[in-house]
Amino acid sequence: MEEKIKKINIVYLLGSIFAPILICLVCFAISAKFFPKGTGAVILIMVPPAIAFVWWTFGLSMVFKNRTKNFEKELDGMKFNRNQTFYGKGKTVIIDLEQGKLGIIFFWNPFKTYILPASRIEKAWVDDGKGGAGFLEGSSRVSFLFIVDGIKVRVDTFTSNQRFRMDSNYILTGISKADMMVKMIEEARSKSK
Amino acid sequence: MEITYKQLYMLPQTVGHYVSHENASYYKQNLIKVDKKADIPVGTYACGIVSYYCAECGYKLVKLSIFLPVRDKEQYDDVVYFHNGEMDDFLNK
Repeated sequence: MEEKIKKINIVYLLGSIFAPILICLVCFAISAKFFPKGTGAVILIMVPPAIAFVWWTFGLSMVFKNRTKNFEKELDGMKFNRNQTFYGKGKTVIIDLEQGKLGIIFFWNPFKTYILPASRIEKAWVDDGKGGAGFLEGSSRVSFLFIVDGIKVRVDTFTSNQRFRMDSNYILTGISKADMMVKMIEEARSKSK
Repeated sequence: MEITYKQLYMLPQTVGHYVSHENASYYKQNLIKVDKKADIPVGTYACGIVSYYCAECGYKLVKLSIFLPVRDKEQYDDVVYFHNGEMDDFLNK
């Protein structure tokens, strides 16, 4: 039985969010008990929250970027042909067209990488996010999706907090990227054993 | 101005990685002639070349319209003009 993909590692997710809060609370408690005043108090009260802020703002994405780089190096070492790589928000998808394989790494599960035969993909399609009617018709998100082992993976090719017309450059570029990725996944599937 | 030449080409650059070029030699080396838009792979740029000639003053102009075909639409990214016959040898091939 092949291992099912896991988009989120709960321990990593909760640890990343709550561990810094816990460390801050412990530091506050130590400060209150042993260093109510002076340099010790300043360090214990100011530094941990600052480090926590930096971790939440930059640390998590740095971990993901580094893990993605390492994953790419691993793939190169395994003679995986990186014909197409899509760096999506929260996940990176790498396709080997010759061998019909896919490499995936997720933001919330960066220490687990997946290399799977494209034949395990049941379906792949594009969601242009079209909504609204008349002059309000448009989209704020374009993505390509695929189902692996019954698990749906959505990779955004365009996202915005505004809605754009369907013929806007942003939407068309997003659709083009998504169409290209779906076509490549289909091609990899056809070559996968 | 009359149109003396009109042809669709594929420009081997993919969506998200388009780099603009002003040099005619880049286009001469990379453009691939195609019959219709459907012959261009998904996510790859297209280039429409139109050559104009003015019979009165003898002025020649070549216009390259670079666009991304997306389903039934076209997303225009760049237009490059050549005024001094830089593309003539390529078009007359």
